[in-house]
Amino acid sequence: MNNKQFLNELSDKCQIGAEQAATQVEQLIGVMEKIWQDGDSVSLSGFGVLEVKKKNERVSVNPTTGVRMLVPPKLVLTYKPSSLLKEKLK
Amino acid sequence: MDNKINLSQLAERLAQEGGMSKAAAEQFVKNFFDIISQRVLVEGLVKVKGLGTFKLIQMEDRESVNVNTGERFTIEGHQKISFVPDADLKDRINKPFAAFDTVEISKEQAEALSRMDEEDEQEVVAPVAPAVPEKPAAPEKPAEEPKKSAKEKRLEQKQAKKAEEAKMKAQKQQEKKEAAKVVDTPTVKDITQKKGTRCLLKVLIAILTMILVIGLVLFMLWPVVGNSVLDIVEKNLNKAKIEMVSDSVKTVAPAEVAPVKAVEAPAETESAKPAESPAVKPAQPQQKPAKPAVKPAETPARTESLTAAKYPVIKLNSKDEAKDLSEFTLADVVNFSMEGVLDTYTLKKGETLTIVALNYYGSKKLWPYIAKYNNINDPARLKAGTVVKVPVLKSK
Repeated sequence: MNNKQFLNELSDKCQIGAEQAATQVEQLIGVMEKIWQDGDSVSLSGFGVLEVKKKNERVSVNPTTGVRMLVPPKLVLTYKPSSLLKEKLK
Repeated sequence: MDNKINLSQLAERLAQEGGMSKAAAEQFVKNFFDIISQRVLVEGLVKVKGLGTFKLIQMEDRESVNVNTGERFTIEGHQKISFVPDADLKDRINKPFAAFDTVEISKEQAEALSRMDEEDEQEVVAPVAPAVPEKPAAPEKPAEEPKKSAKEKRLEQKQAKKAEEAKMKAQKQQEKKEAAKVVDTPTVKDITQKKGTRCLLKVLIAILTMILVIGLVLFMLWPVVGNSVLDIVEKNLNKAKIEMVSDSVKTVAPAEVAPVKAVEAPAETESAKPAESPAVKPAQPQQKPAKPAVKPAETPARTESLTAAKYPVIKLNSKDEAKDLSEFTLADVVNFSMEGVLDTYTLKKGETLTIVALNYYGSKKLWPYIAKYNNINDPARLKAGTVVKVPVLKSK
């Protein structure tokens, strides 16, 4: 399912125009981005948790050349599905 | 920080942003995530522009071990929802750390880093949980002004992160410098690295074997020397023969002229002393023949300006003249006791304990005393501003 199909379905469900759906999606993502930048997480029942986690710096070794690289620390957006959703997978 | 934003809170903020009713916003958010979770189960892939891709992936069967019982069991294959954030969003989320690049490092640096990681684990976590005592600025500010808007807060957080970034960078640079230094000066390198301890061990073993060899040589030479000594006794202290004795002693310490000269003197005056004791027991174990050679040598050494500490080093070296004094760091280092504080010293940037030792004792090699006295475990990673106590050294 690509973005277009997604927007179509969303606009159908909410009974709004496709364009409005697109702007609202943008706004929603903007709001969530601010939440993540504050260090908070977005938690929705039945869906899961979207949160930013910090990955520590680490030393990685290229197995073929043996070159050691220092990989810098980074902030990564992670998703953890809710247990409800996981149950549905089975 | 670390708050969980739920559906209604999210809808509220969206309603403010988009100028719509709260109910409509809530409905929209609910539908948004419902579609994702439903469609990802049905179609296996949902792409949302600006957010990322949700994907259903198949995990193969794999074998694992029960940690408690050590039993092997298989984790059955299952499906998993993975999420890959949009590249743009990923970059924006990682903005506080965007300044870092992956860098190539050497093996030594990697080792030093892994050690640092163990020590600094708490420090590294700092931006996530700013309650770490090393960064008082971050947790204090929000407490002082809790009424600040979210934007301001975010700015502050960013600043805190940047400060940490800068700190980490500085740390890394310092470390790199130190690593470079380690390569430059062999004495520091020897001891700072694990190799150093191994090297010291080797030196110790070399010293021990040399002592053994000297002992053996003396033991082998004993009949000759002993006979000559007996001759001396018999011929009522014939001077010419005594010189032979001192010559034989010379083979033990030929490099050090002063002690040898001193050996000659007592040999002339109290030649009976070294001659008698070995003569009584001609079939002694190997340490004992060594003794008469050492004894006369030791006494004159005390009268000289040479410290007692240096003497054994020189004696050992004499056998192998080419060897440098500086190699026998341990020999120097075990011969002093620390008594009281001579001075306290604040390290400046780029200074090491060896420099402090050079300034206060006139010898680089004595730095381990300072390290020991201050309980410094890792002298290669000292920070500027560290205050060290310089102990008074007294030779044992």
